[in-house]
Parts: sequence; C-alpha cells; structure tokens
Amino acid sequence: MIATARKPVNEVLEALNGAQRIGVVGCDGCAKACDTGGSAQVVEMVRELKEHGKEVVFDVTPERTCYLHKSRDAFATHVADVKGSEALLVLGCGGAVQIIRQLTEEYGVAIPVKSGLDSVGHMDTLVFGELAIEQCRECGQCALNETGGICPMTKCAKSLLNGPCGGSQDGKCEVDPERDCAWVLIYKRMVALGELDKLRRYVGPKDHSKAAKPRTLYIKKGEVV
Amino acid sequence: MKLTERFKKNEFVITSEVGPMKGCVRNGTPPAFLQEAREIAKYVHAVNVTDNQSAVMKLGSLAASIYLQRDGIEPIFQMTCRDRNRIALQSDLLSACSLGIQNVLCLTGDHIRLGDHMSAKPVFDIDSVQLLAIAKELNEGHDMAGNELTEPTDLALGAVVNPNFEPLDLQLMKMEKKIDAGARFFQTQAVYDPRTFETFMKKAKEFGTPIQYGVVIIKSPEMAKYMNAHVSGIKVPQTLIDEIGSVPKEQRRQKAIEMTARLVNEIAPMVQGIHFMPLGWSDIVPEIIARIAIPRKN
Repeated sequence: MIATARKPVNEVLEALNGAQRIGVVGCDGCAKACDTGGSAQVVEMVRELKEHGKEVVFDVTPERTCYLHKSRDAFATHVADVKGSEALLVLGCGGAVQIIRQLTEEYGVAIPVKSGLDSVGHMDTLVFGELAIEQCRECGQCALNETGGICPMTKCAKSLLNGPCGGSQDGKCEVDPERDCAWVLIYKRMVALGELDKLRRYVGPKDHSKAAKPRTLYIKKGEVV
Repeated sequence: MKLTERFKKNEFVITSEVGPMKGCVRNGTPPAFLQEAREIAKYVHAVNVTDNQSAVMKLGSLAASIYLQRDGIEPIFQMTCRDRNRIALQSDLLSACSLGIQNVLCLTGDHIRLGDHMSAKPVFDIDSVQLLAIAKELNEGHDMAGNELTEPTDLALGAVVNPNFEPLDLQLMKMEKKIDAGARFFQTQAVYDPRTFETFMKKAKEFGTPIQYGVVIIKSPEMAKYMNAHVSGIKVPQTLIDEIGSVPKEQRRQKAIEMTARLVNEIAPMVQGIHFMPLGWSDIVPEIIARIAIPRKN
C-alpha cells in the first residue's frame, strides 16, 4: 500500500486558508488501511472542519481514489457540489490528490485541491491497523532473486549492493541500532538457502534511469517508460 | 610516492590521518590539519585526509590533500560515496590525478544521520566496491560508461576493512570483492583486541594484498566510551578504558603512547604497515613510532 500519515490540523487549516466551503474526499483503499483517510476518518475530518468554522459542502470516499474511473463514478452525484465548493481537501496519498485535481479540471472547475495527509512510502502491512514497514523502493530492476528475497536497495540505509558497510555492528545498522543490518539478514538467509556463493559475485552500479521519475506504465504492452 | 610502490619494495608502511576543519584556509595562517601533518611528516610515509568525516561538513579532502602535497607531504585522498553521484566521483578522481594526487582511499562513508546536516539527501549512487572498480577503469583509460579518456588516471587505490565485523566471513567476502575490483592496499578499522585481529589476519593474509593495522589513539575513558556507544564497528575493551583512566589527565598523553605502542607492537608482525588515527593528537604519533619494533621483511 501507499502509506500515509496525518498532517497536523493547523497545517491543514492553513492550506485551506481563504476557502470557507469545503468538499472532503477520502480513500477507502490504502488510506483506509492506514487509518488516515477511510470513510471513518472522513467523518472525523468533517467534524473537525466544522468545529473550526468551515462549511462542509459534501464528502465522498471512493473505493480507490487513485483509480480515475473509480473516483469519477463516486463523484457522479457530486458534480454540482464540487462547483459549489471553494476548495477540496483530499485524505489520500499524493496520487489521490492529483487524480482529484484532474477530475476538477474535467469538470472545468478551477478550485484548490489540498492534501490532508503526507505520503510516506510504499509499505507492507505486518499488523493490520498497527504496523507497516518499507521493503521495496520500486527501482525497476528487482534484485531479490540474488539476495534471498531481502532488498538491499531498500533495507540497507545506504542501498549498498556488494555487502555491508563498516558501520554495521552486532547485526545492527549504524543509522539506527534498533534496526537489523540488511546485509547480515541477507547473509544469514543465503546461508540457510545454501546459496552463499551468489553473494561473492560483484554487482555493478544500478541503472538509475530505470527509476527516473515520472514513469509511465503501458499495461497492455507491459512496458514502463 | 604511491603506497603501492612502497609495499612492492616490502617497506613497512606507516601512515596517519588528519581531518580538515570547518572553514577556509585564508590569510596565510597554516590550518590545524596542516600543522598536524607537518608534525608527523618526517615519521610517516603518507597522511590520510578525511572526507567530511562522520558526515560533518568540512573543508574538502581534495583541497586539504593539495595543501599537504605543496608542503612535500604525501597525501592519501579519502573519498566516500555519500555526497557525490558517479559523475562527480569520476570527475573528482580526474581532478585529483590532474592535481598530482597519487593515492586514493575509497570508502562508503558514514551515513548523513550521524552528521551535522541530517536533512541532506544521502547519495550512495554507487558503493565502495563499485567506486574501486570505476577508479580502476579510469586508470585503464576509460570512464565507467566506456568512453575513452584523453589521458588515463594513475592512482594507487586503497580500501578499508573492519576486522571486528560479525560475521567475519561476510566482511571477508566484501574485502575479496574490493581486491577483485581494484584495491591494492587496505587500512583496517580500529581494533583493540589482538586476538580479534589475529583471527581476521589468518584468513585475510591469504588474499595477498597489503594490510595496514588501523588504530585510533585512545585519549580518555570518556572518548573510549563515546566510541563504544556511538561509533559503529569499534569496540574498546574495558581493560583499556580503565588503563587510560588510571592516570590523571596531564599524564594521559604519555599513557596513550604506551598503550598504543603496546598494541601496535603486538600486531605489527602480522601486517604490512600501520595506520594511525590520532584525532587531534598527532603530536604523540612520532613518540609511538619511536617505540615500535618495525618488522623486518624478506
């Protein structure tokens, strides 16, 4: 999922400064899993905005806000509401904010679309509703087949590809002594798999052009450009 | 002279380290790092110049290395992967060679989180093994993209290794990769347990690449405890912490000389050289060296 964290209320109010009539948009996909932007958090935000003197024109929570067609369907009965709003507040990832901005442009409405959340990364849920961790940075060149299914690009603080740095101590990372050194984890995993010799191979510099943003995915062709 | 040439001649190679300051060299006043280097110049073969050590922004390693060179002191230009991408690293290697630098030590670099610009973007575009491979390619006359250079570099490439590392096998794997990539000498992380060093050397000597034993001079119990708590990869045993603490402050320089010389003498027969990291106490390095029984080589 795309993990999100709540922006402080003051920051949200500042972003909405000057707009009185607000539409609130949630996301029942990733933001719901993060307890930041699902239907329940939209209700909370509506209440909060009203407490701060705002008028909430409408609220809507698409099933997945980053899918343009799903947001378009969810907005079908709210086009007049959008036109009657002075700003929209989106409780979703940065992608969701931009999809909603695109939608307002489709409607020919030039109003600010603001974000109520900070997107903090592609994360995997370990304990639902409690804990998610980052394990993949979408580099476009997956190395997991060579590293025992543990990503050194993401799980090593320095993204080292040829083994640990000198700062690893007692199996922990120099950046955070609570965090496991990714290369010690990879080493132990490769020992367990009987594939240690694979780690002896020199790994050349990453082709960062494969992760040069913004990328476009042509799904039918299976191409990323 | 390149360190590699000294190793080839079976010289026991002694180096020490200085760290540039946060500020410029101006008005003709010799900076502290240069004064330190001058104090030890007669006693060592070359002097390492650190590269924004601990991710604290300082005068650049290349500029400081050139100051040493102008004084007739052989610099070892340290280069980390933290702050420059592959274009900048290659360009700086060309610059270093063009300015007369002969020795480069290639390191990963401490993480930005340890330094004084914690909100900076860590680069780590390439790692230390790849940096060695790239530097070797420049020596061979082309850049890492395969483009020919008008003039190749001619740099002696060094690397670092941490004998304290657990599991040691993993550290040795990386060491071997560094040798394959182009490392021609090693300086170790500080080690205070000769048994640990011996275990490491039993395997590392099989690689046949010269190794300098690295030692950070222990200045006080507080400093040793700080290293244990905050410098990953270094372990100072309690016995040494107690020993430096057993004398009053004014006698600690003398105690540090004794302790360091004892360690070095125990480990010197296992290695091809010594690398001192005096952290400001360069003035006692000559006295330590005077107490070392330099191993004779065949």
